[in-house]
Amino acid sequence: MQVREYIVRRLLTLPLLMLGVSILVFGLSRVGGSPIGIYIEHEMSPAEVAQLEERYGLNDSLPQQYVAWLGGVVRGDLGWSGVSAAPVSEIILPKFTATMELAMLAALIAVVLGLSMGTFGGARKNKLGDHLTRVVAISGASIPIFWFGLMLLIVFYLGFGWAPLGRADPSIYARISHPTGLYTVDSLLNLDFGAFTDALWHLALPAITMGYGSTAIIARMMRSSLVEELGEDYVDAARAKGLPERLVIRRHARRNALMPTMTVIGLSWGFLLQGTVVVELIFNWPGLGRWMTDAVLQGDQATIMSYVLITSIIFLVVNLVVDVAYAYLDRRVVLGG
Amino acid sequence: MPTWTVEWFWGDRSVASTAPAENAPRLVDGRLRALGARARRFGEIGRESLRNPTTLVGGVIVAAFLLMALFAPLLIEPNTPNAYQMPRDFSSVNVPPGTNGHVLGTTPTGGDVLYGIVWGARTSLRLSVIVVAITVAIGVTVGSVAGFLGGKWDEVLMRLVDVFLSVPELIFALAIAAVLGPAFGNIILALAVVFWVKYARIIRGQIIHVKQNEYVDAARVMGDKRWRIFLKDVLPNSITPVVVQATVDMGHVVLIGATLSFIGLAEAGLAEWGNLVSEGQSGIIAGRWWVATFAGSMVFLWSLAFNLVGDGLRDVLDPKSEQR
Repeated sequence: MQVREYIVRRLLTLPLLMLGVSILVFGLSRVGGSPIGIYIEHEMSPAEVAQLEERYGLNDSLPQQYVAWLGGVVRGDLGWSGVSAAPVSEIILPKFTATMELAMLAALIAVVLGLSMGTFGGARKNKLGDHLTRVVAISGASIPIFWFGLMLLIVFYLGFGWAPLGRADPSIYARISHPTGLYTVDSLLNLDFGAFTDALWHLALPAITMGYGSTAIIARMMRSSLVEELGEDYVDAARAKGLPERLVIRRHARRNALMPTMTVIGLSWGFLLQGTVVVELIFNWPGLGRWMTDAVLQGDQATIMSYVLITSIIFLVVNLVVDVAYAYLDRRVVLGG
Repeated sequence: MPTWTVEWFWGDRSVASTAPAENAPRLVDGRLRALGARARRFGEIGRESLRNPTTLVGGVIVAAFLLMALFAPLLIEPNTPNAYQMPRDFSSVNVPPGTNGHVLGTTPTGGDVLYGIVWGARTSLRLSVIVVAITVAIGVTVGSVAGFLGGKWDEVLMRLVDVFLSVPELIFALAIAAVLGPAFGNIILALAVVFWVKYARIIRGQIIHVKQNEYVDAARVMGDKRWRIFLKDVLPNSITPVVVQATVDMGHVVLIGATLSFIGLAEAGLAEWGNLVSEGQSGIIAGRWWVATFAGSMVFLWSLAFNLVGDGLRDVLDPKSEQR
């Protein structure tokens, strides 16, 4: 199969998968209680409830309801968020940027730390450095994010006496303008370094909590693919021509080991996205994850559906980008399969 | 190559068994010996993986947890009427470890943390065994149909699997448990819906690979029925990665399950580790660190131990993939 053909095919499956996810999400809202449960008040008469059901089209057939809902989603109407008391489409943007700011910093930490730890371990196979890397990697895959976050709070709040909760110091947040919604970027645009420090201060603990799991996944993959590459003939050739080991790794082995690690970086996005749910709950971060847990506890279906839909689409798109980039960079994958 | 269709799978019922009746005793004997060999092989695998120190550590922790779960009623008097409900000692609320006979302290509602940890092991064992059993059964069935029959079956089932994999697992499970309402039974159900997909994918790939082997063709030429070929030759040779994944998932299921109950999707007062962490969370800022620390470390250890054992098994069963 040619690379171009593969990419086109991969692009074409995206809308199909999105459609599948939308059916899944719609199905979700029909297995539990009534989708309008959150609107029904205690003192409503059965007639009023029936009126509500009529208004939201619950007497139509399921396919009709699905089409009506999907039509709304396509037009940007994701329904009424009970927990925010506003239409989803109106309140989602600031939550989205808050989550993205956190997720991007966490991803940055995970990629930088994961790649360097993986290289460090892989270059010292079965020595002390390698064992340390493995301990970090294996505990990262097993540690409950909610517990890790709380432990950081105990150490840094109870131990060292600082742990800023929330996204910003309100007074500092109020003194700058917010053109992008990303607090760090906005503070730099305002040339307010006090605000920038405040932003990083608030981001640090939640981003570390969120990034740890992904760091572990990336480090593990980088380590094993570097070990594999170091056993290849071209590495022996590079050593034979007298290149120091440091340069053998940096110029040759590491580049090729990066390839398989890339797909894992894409996958670890899913890990990051699910991390937001718990991290935002613990650190009181005003993003999508916090919104979701509020909705979960109150049974607010429109919010739950919107959240699952949005998160899955981000996840699908990121994975598509990674797959396409991977196919483009490493043609063996496509030609071999 | 045979054509892998449904008819081929179930076979032509009119053809009599190829083995004459007088061979029956020898056949039974052969089967017993095969079983013995298989049991010995399992023993070998166990010994071989425990030679690795990290696997040994994992194995010891797993064994300790299993003993704790099985003998919970002997370790701590069960609460009546429901042993899985935390006991309440209203005379010592929020007491630190070592006070009034509460070795690990109490929760804001007077629950003994040690009780929650011991009985929580039982809850975790219940959760992981039920979920792994259901998901392996569903996943292996779906994956086998897709891999062994191929064609349209494969196409349709694998697209379904792709859709399920498009939603990050914690978020999917969270959404399902949320629409079903807060209850431990719903957490089990939600995890079962989410986790079967992996097994379907793994077993399908294995079967497609295994069924190309010559011994499968040989069995077919000898006139074995298709379901027999599947059960005797294809499935046993495809199952090892499922065993590894199931071991890892024994830990992972508890990790995700505890996350769901931490968020608040289990019954209040259930003796479950995530639930306990959630109860202890509010006290942290006030300096009451013990509830969340002890209960959460159990989730970590449980999941870590099964990860280590799963890793060790993978090294022994599939030496080619050194995924560490």
